[in-house]
Amino acid sequence: MVRSIISMICVVAIFIAGALFESYFINKQFDEFHDVLCVLYEKVDDQTAVMDDVYAVQKNWLEKKRYLHAFIPHNEIKEVDLWLAESATLVRDEEWSDAISKIEVLIELAEQIPKTFKPSLENVL
Amino acid sequence: MIVTFIRTFIVFITLIIIMRLMGKRQIGEMQPFEFVITLIIADLACIPMTDVSIPLIYGISAIFALFLLHQLFSILEQSSSLIKRIISGKPSIVINTNGVDMLELKRNNLGVDDLIESMRAGGYFSLDDLSYAIFESNGKLSPLENPNRSDDTNSISILLINNGKINAKNLELIGKTKSDLVDFLNKNDANLKSTEIMTIDGSGRVYLKVKKKKYKICTLKFEEKLKW
Repeated sequence: MVRSIISMICVVAIFIAGALFESYFINKQFDEFHDVLCVLYEKVDDQTAVMDDVYAVQKNWLEKKRYLHAFIPHNEIKEVDLWLAESATLVRDEEWSDAISKIEVLIELAEQIPKTFKPSLENVL
Repeated sequence: MIVTFIRTFIVFITLIIIMRLMGKRQIGEMQPFEFVITLIIADLACIPMTDVSIPLIYGISAIFALFLLHQLFSILEQSSSLIKRIISGKPSIVINTNGVDMLELKRNNLGVDDLIESMRAGGYFSLDDLSYAIFESNGKLSPLENPNRSDDTNSISILLINNGKINAKNLELIGKTKSDLVDFLNKNDANLKSTEIMTIDGSGRVYLKVKKKKYKICTLKFEEKLKW
């Protein structure tokens, strides 16, 4: 009985610690990514963005996704990869209006993905 | 992680309820909650292993959640007999001194055929071979042998009437008609509607259980060449 209770307490502690870390880590990563994307959005909106700006965002994302793979379904990471690659091509070709719509999607993803980890009713059901 | 935990919890509780509602038929040698864990854990372990798009932590956290639930249910079971009854059910006495208790069988979603099958697995081939039979909460049959059981039985009993319904195939096997059977029942103060169980073995020995009455052992004669 005592052993069972101790093991339960340990598992609950691991869960709480894990959930808190997961929530903090994912939010932090996506908040940073969101900020970087907003900067790129403004530059594309001003039509002053260059390829190096997109490469900087891609590099930032590459660093983050190495660790995010542990927490997020890999398909969602792949989705961000694809939208980012498309944005890069459009910025290179200076197709600003198309590029801006792609970056808007990326911003939306950066806002929505962390929300799927919150213990809300829509996530549980 | 927390979402996986909540989802695992919901699935687990749902499965427990379903397993309890299904009765003892689906459980073998395990308590319902252990059976549910066995059912889920195999998939939980498999999916993250084979589906590379799912992070491993999803499977691991769900398995940890199941472990937690297992420990929790074990403690709850030990703490109160009422909780134990709710979670795992209680043993059911399906055969008593009056014979087979049809109501208790129905409560556990079992039929006479299931009872006969479980008895056969335990080496008992006639319903009156047992004074008591208890279906434990893990689905196993615990028999208490009838002290008057005859060891010279050398044939298998077949079911002729189950809850007022005639088994036409078995009736044909002993070369009798429905009217023969009704006559036999009338001679034994019974009728088709009130007969819960009637079995017959190869030598014509009949086990007859009528509603609200103690079972009766009698003999039905049939042709020698049809005996088995």
